[in-house]
Amino acid sequence: MKTADALAVLDAPLDADVDPDELVQAAMEWHFSPRTGTPFWLDRLDRLDFDPRTDVRTTADLRLFPQTIDDLRHTPVEDLLPKGYDGAADVIGVFESGGTTGSPKRVVYLADWMEREMAQAMRAMDERGYPRGVNWLSMGPSGPHDYAELTGQHARRRGGVRFAVDFDPRWVRRCLREGRDEEAERYLDHVLAQTADVLASQRIGAVQAPPPLLGRLARDERLVQLVRDQVQVITWCGTSMDRDTRDLLTDEVFPGIPMYGLYGSTVALGAAFERKGTDDGDSAFDSPSANVTYEVVDPDGGEPVAVGETGQVVMHHLSKSALLPNNRERDVARRVAAPADRPGHSVADVRPAEAFTGVPVIVGAY
Amino acid sequence: MTADAVAPGAAATGSGAGALELIDALVPGGTYRTSRRETVRDVSGRPVAELTLAPALYVGRTTDRLRRRPAVAAGWSPAELTGRFRAAATAFTTDRLGGLTPAEHHRRVARTTGVPVSVVRAAAATVAAATANAVGAAEQARPRGALPADWRHGDVADGGAVLWRRRGRLLCVNASGNHPAVHSLWLEALALGYRVAVRPSRRDPFTAHRLILALRSAGFADEDVLLLPCDHRVADELIRGGDLAMVFGGDDVVDRYTKGWSGTPVLPQGPGRVKLLVTGEWERHLDVIADSVGGLGGVSCLNATAVLVAHDARGFAEALAERLAALRPLPPEHEDAELPCLPLAEARRIDGFLRQRAAGARPMGNTGIVHDLEDGSAALRPAVHLLEDPAAEQLALEMPFPCVWVAPWSPERGTAPLRRSLVVGVATQDDALVDGLLAEPSIRNVYGLDRPTWWLPPGIPHDGYLAEFLMRSTALARR
Repeated sequence: MKTADALAVLDAPLDADVDPDELVQAAMEWHFSPRTGTPFWLDRLDRLDFDPRTDVRTTADLRLFPQTIDDLRHTPVEDLLPKGYDGAADVIGVFESGGTTGSPKRVVYLADWMEREMAQAMRAMDERGYPRGVNWLSMGPSGPHDYAELTGQHARRRGGVRFAVDFDPRWVRRCLREGRDEEAERYLDHVLAQTADVLASQRIGAVQAPPPLLGRLARDERLVQLVRDQVQVITWCGTSMDRDTRDLLTDEVFPGIPMYGLYGSTVALGAAFERKGTDDGDSAFDSPSANVTYEVVDPDGGEPVAVGETGQVVMHHLSKSALLPNNRERDVARRVAAPADRPGHSVADVRPAEAFTGVPVIVGAY
Repeated sequence: MTADAVAPGAAATGSGAGALELIDALVPGGTYRTSRRETVRDVSGRPVAELTLAPALYVGRTTDRLRRRPAVAAGWSPAELTGRFRAAATAFTTDRLGGLTPAEHHRRVARTTGVPVSVVRAAAATVAAATANAVGAAEQARPRGALPADWRHGDVADGGAVLWRRRGRLLCVNASGNHPAVHSLWLEALALGYRVAVRPSRRDPFTAHRLILALRSAGFADEDVLLLPCDHRVADELIRGGDLAMVFGGDDVVDRYTKGWSGTPVLPQGPGRVKLLVTGEWERHLDVIADSVGGLGGVSCLNATAVLVAHDARGFAEALAERLAALRPLPPEHEDAELPCLPLAEARRIDGFLRQRAAGARPMGNTGIVHDLEDGSAALRPAVHLLEDPAAEQLALEMPFPCVWVAPWSPERGTAPLRRSLVVGVATQDDALVDGLLAEPSIRNVYGLDRPTWWLPPGIPHDGYLAEFLMRSTALARR
């Protein structure tokens, strides 16, 4: 097979069904060949105990990759641009992970990938009946986070204007870590006051927010009424939401307004919209595309778990713009049956790994 | 509410997890059941029930709503209120509630908390008495200058009047599960016209559940008294959501909530650190002292933690250890059980913790507190340690079983070693010493040794009247 043919799948039409293994082989060829490769990966080739271009043929082989994603915390972003773009990569932005543990991981979004990701997102929104031509209110983070860029793209591509409220999750986490709960509360009040202003003065048809802010909004009767009066769809994202809270929001707080989760990761460069309908009551997500796939694995052995079992979530990103395989997320989820012809695993009941460990036993009189 | 329309007590079948009984939240509109639940196990690890864990949003929205309006019961006459409390006490004592007879309830609480069943039964009687007497107990705390709760505008004379007013509408209670009678302590709030939302302990959600069902059966409104089980993170939301809050627990829990971050005034109910002092011969007080240490299974904050004696501390410690050694290790549901039980692993951890903290103290009698009951649980046998110095830090180390620290005392030590005590039990002829104890602000109650330190009839304040925290006096003057 000629290299050019093998690589064609990386540039497949946006609506094409690509063969996942073919995509794996093309991504290995592209990111590891001396001509087109990505400096980040070429630098690590010596340290891999396998040859990606010959040994990684299938999606299952992606498990060979060590946990190199942590290196993104200190990698200059130029090293993430494949040489095959010949210096002409169109960089939309540099984005950082949440920064929960240590310094954040940095990734780059290239324009060709954004088109691909947005095509997937628009298809998913169409399938779920997201409106067109309405304005969006995005209550999430901006700055180094991908959230503002992605929600801006969502709104624009659906013919609306995006209103933003700025929310710095790192500051909230720091407040909570230092036991300054009241400062976190005050900050959330500050964010919510700005939300109120937008909702009261603008025509808003879609709201996108992380669950903590959505929960906060749900406590304010006036804001709840403003949402009920005009919003046609709500999207939650950024952190997981337990199903009891989700049921409260959909049944009690915003009855009749469709609500979908968006599950992804900054370092997967993509996200999946929640399925229509639950899996045994839990929110479920299918891997969004052959480019961005999820797996649920046994946290000890790393082997995939069976459908119905719970394990750690692993994400793979394979595209012309980036190779980020075998990234173990800090989430646990139940593997559920994927729809026919859908790549990767489907997940339900996603929650932080911390919540999965046992309850500490307290010693003392009480 | 999304609450499943399940009648209290009808929730006898589990979902996927077999036939475990489900303990729902008791909320405005009836009951509320979540998919996220905690399994309540007995001391041998056997699952007993599944407890709903309300999410933060539910707790927040519920408390928001409850704070908006005064309690329905706040509009009742004292006679009606008294009648309903008495009916609730009767229901709590005699009725089948939540599907359980009183005897089944006592046995279950004994099995999950490890508290001896006779102690559970006595605690239930304490709760019932507190329920029956809630109105009277609350009334005892009313300032002499304040008008009664059923005052009318015509009662306000030209010189004005003093009213006794609530500081808020909603009291949130973060309860503990060490002893069921913790639930006797919030009933006065209901009598004073507060709404009360209780987060039960995960070891004993049953006592609060039963009590609230009893109150509802007597006519208290669903939105006046609630059971809101939740995990410890969501408990923060509950405390934040109350106008006032009452928090039971160890130092770690109480300290966490009394730093003021929640913005809610919190009444802490922490360790009691009860101490005894015998200035003369101790022999004739030995029975009451042993009862103060080992009565109630030794699990209450009112059990004695330390004993100071002026004469022959060593001889006293030996005699006390011998007396307490007569308490037999038995499973908690056994009628003759007198010692608390815990899961074996937890009992071993406590044993290890005690050995570590007892460094420098002399253990009396048998060493090792764990008595393996060979079903996954263990009874905790009494521990008596002799200290050389009444200022030793162990004197404040309260444990969830009969565990007592003995130290010598001499008059020049005065009241200092007795500070920070919920109760000081004292046998002395020296009235000046008693006056000294009463003058010490960190000592909350002073009893003679004619009664155990856990003596607490209805109407006697446990740690001041609850009304001192809940109410304030307000002047009204108008023509």
